[in-house]
Amino acid sequence: MAARKPVFNQHVLLDTTPLPDTLPKVKEIGASSAPLLSASFFIGARCRDYNDDFMQCKTQHPGQGEFECLKEGRRVTRCARSVLEDINKSCLEQFRAHWQCLENNNQQLWQCRPAEWKLNKCVYENLNLEKVIPDQPKQSTPVHLRTKQIFAHNSIPPWEKPFIPGKSDAAEAS
Amino acid sequence: MPPAGGYDAVQYKRNLPSRGLFRPGPLLAGGALLMLYGWYRVVKGIREQNELAREKMWARIHLIPLLQAEEDRDLVRRHIADQEREKALVGGNFRVYNADRYVRPTFAATPANVAKE
Repeated sequence: MAARKPVFNQHVLLDTTPLPDTLPKVKEIGASSAPLLSASFFIGARCRDYNDDFMQCKTQHPGQGEFECLKEGRRVTRCARSVLEDINKSCLEQFRAHWQCLENNNQQLWQCRPAEWKLNKCVYENLNLEKVIPDQPKQSTPVHLRTKQIFAHNSIPPWEKPFIPGKSDAAEAS
Repeated sequence: MPPAGGYDAVQYKRNLPSRGLFRPGPLLAGGALLMLYGWYRVVKGIREQNELAREKMWARIHLIPLLQAEEDRDLVRRHIADQEREKALVGGNFRVYNADRYVRPTFAATPANVAKE
């Protein structure tokens, strides 16, 4: 069946023929899973429209999306790349701390809350991107801002405070 | 003949008075309380787990277009290379499927020169 993925990564099957020059090139994202996971909500915050465009294009061209949606795909990659570049430029230290924590903790986001809060703060102050998880129940604290967690291996030290954009600004001002 | 005044009462009941909290009522109540607390913790945990799953799912939703775009570009590149190779070998492109749909190749052509990567 066509759904079966061919394995292309074997030594002799590596096809290195580049794209023809008629198709515009784009630099690939070039990040592994942990940095991508760490930056995913910021990518989502900035690139939502491009992502939606791409997915809509794929839905509207079933079976031909690979060829028809190259332009949208390039936009998606360029946008995500810009997010990663901006984070690298202004929040490299926090970003590294967070994704390395994810790497060391089986990529479980809830094991790395303090590092995540520092990253969120830095990203919000420098890039104005905020982590928002959609569709959460309104009456409870969003799960990434909780100071007490059941499933984390280590409890969060009391001096680590979650970053909430409006609230901490007010606290710093007063 | 029985003795005058009848026999003594036969003691068939154990003489174990239940004292303090070890009576049925408090035991039952204590068990119920324990269960209630356990269920409270379970429900709390399940709700937290749901939210964590939601977080993970949204992280992936934000990443899927990016990964799919990269994969698609790679597939297109391979497809074009395959078509070129076919043209060079047999002088034309043949339609294998009676449809315009792109079909992921199940078999891959082995390039003549082994890639150096």
